[in-house]
Amino acid sequence: MLEADVEVDRRDFTVRAALRVAPGERLALFGPSGAGKTTLLETIAGLVPPRRGRVQLAGRVLTSTGRPARAVPPWQRRVGLLRQDPALFPHLSVRRNLAYAPAAAASGAELAGLAGVLGLAGLLDAMPARLSGGQAHRVALGRLLLAHCDALLLDEPYNGLDAGLRRTLTELVIGLVTERGIPAILVAHELAEAQAFASRLAIIDRGAVLQDGTPRDVVLRPASRRVAELVGYRGFVPAGQDGDGIVAGVHPDRVTSGAHPGRGIVLTGIVCGGRPAGASWEADLRVGTAEFSCRLADQPEASAGELVVTALDPPCFGPDGSAVRAGGRPVEAGT
Amino acid sequence: MSWAASPPSGAGGAPGNQSPARRPAGPLPGLPGAGGLRAVAGAASLAATLVIWIALLGPVIALATHLSWHEITTSLSAPGAWDPLVVSLESGAVTLAVLLLVCTPLSWRLARGTLPLPRVWEAGVLCSLLLPPLVIGLLLIFMVGPFTPIGAALGHLHLSATNTFFALVVAEVYESAPYYVLGAQAAFAGVDESMQQQAALLGDRPLRVFRRVTLPLAAPGLAMAMAVAWARAMGAFGAVVIVAYHPFGLPLQIWTTLQQTGLPSALPFALVLLVVALPLPLAAYIWSARARGRRRG
Repeated sequence: MLEADVEVDRRDFTVRAALRVAPGERLALFGPSGAGKTTLLETIAGLVPPRRGRVQLAGRVLTSTGRPARAVPPWQRRVGLLRQDPALFPHLSVRRNLAYAPAAAASGAELAGLAGVLGLAGLLDAMPARLSGGQAHRVALGRLLLAHCDALLLDEPYNGLDAGLRRTLTELVIGLVTERGIPAILVAHELAEAQAFASRLAIIDRGAVLQDGTPRDVVLRPASRRVAELVGYRGFVPAGQDGDGIVAGVHPDRVTSGAHPGRGIVLTGIVCGGRPAGASWEADLRVGTAEFSCRLADQPEASAGELVVTALDPPCFGPDGSAVRAGGRPVEAGT
Repeated sequence: MSWAASPPSGAGGAPGNQSPARRPAGPLPGLPGAGGLRAVAGAASLAATLVIWIALLGPVIALATHLSWHEITTSLSAPGAWDPLVVSLESGAVTLAVLLLVCTPLSWRLARGTLPLPRVWEAGVLCSLLLPPLVIGLLLIFMVGPFTPIGAALGHLHLSATNTFFALVVAEVYESAPYYVLGAQAAFAGVDESMQQQAALLGDRPLRVFRRVTLPLAAPGLAMAMAVAWARAMGAFGAVVIVAYHPFGLPLQIWTTLQQTGLPSALPFALVLLVVALPLPLAAYIWSARARGRRRG
């Protein structure tokens, strides 16, 4: 179990967070750049001292500002941190990079096995300068796994890698975290990456954890309008009775064409633009004063100025931004 | 048909056939000019580089052309002729050891920026670089001469910082230290801090990180800094002539020979100085170039 309850001062705000990650659990911290995600990881790794708080891993107190105060140095924490920069040691071959950690020295068979899994078997004698970006990342990951850390912290490790490699590495890490039963935290600023990895998702903004739950729950039931904005809700249309200020969040991917009153809110809007988006069509829609884009299976007819769509089971928010229930049945809204 | 009026692409048969023949006349007069200019500029810069290189090597060439075998054997077979070489090598080695021991931590701290008011510390190092060696020698007399508190303290230890081997080392340290400190600082600053962090997170305590990551990565730069410091120490003259006229090192031997018996008999010692001072920097240069090459894979 990894427990961190810390307050860390940053130049512009204070990061306040309490996280608990069970053995084998994978938590993703998702939020905009500069939200304090990296600061949290660095505090757990012992690179940044918190102003107040406590970090505990597998029963060991790593950091405590209370009495007795404690700050275990990074090299005794057994916490692995993988960053976007693989930081391979340029003067050591791939093999010696992999076996760098004192805990890895004795395990030659394990090294060979992991190198095979990571697709590095043919590169063991290469120098890091000769590796491609993806290969360097795999070496960094292997080096970390061979160190047998008690917790794994991944700070946007896959930025700049292609989608196929990301998927492979994500699945590999998930497998190893489950197999070893260690807690893992991934920091991501792309929601899809966070969802692909995590068994639990925490949304962070300006140093505060806004919501914490299963990835699907957080995206479909955001606790506040700010969370909704962060996870990709683009439009907020009036959804309540006259003047109560309740709005429904519209997610571009949670919209279907046509009126389906039983499945959500039916919206009639004016198409003001559009473009192909992958296999679907992204249409810019204006509903009243709200403007948002939505991805539809088919491109709407060019002649139709108006378009009727249904926002599927949208979350609703009160005037203060907190989530509210929009009554038992979906509310109809229009221009 | 005036060529200026000819259409770029011929609409008909005849004008179309003529214009391609003429069109190259437009842009082409410029192209060979530009190409020729580039070639001339390239040749000129190559020639200039060569001239500068030869000019820099000029003294060595002059030394080689003005030495006669007879002079070398006469000068170097005189009794005690090799003593200055031994003195220079010994004092240079001690100086290098002192720099390694005393100045490496300072360079490390300057590079890491862990010192308060880092600019002040750097300015301090630069001061001794900017002072002419002769002035350093004069000031050393005021600092560690026999009638100063430090000189008196040294006297209690049966040491004297004037006209002794110890004085020679002191003068050489002052002349070469800034070169070593600045070079080593640059070498340490070139080591990526995230790499040291990563090593620590993988379980290495700071000293082990220094030995396994920082030192190997800084080594090529450190070797160059040491080579430069060695060359400065071997050639130290300005401060040495003031505080340590005796025992003679090679530079002073050259100076006194020049004064007593003239230029031709001084030249062999210059050759000796070159031959003993050069191999270490050269080896350091080759080694660091190879180390950097290995890292590139």
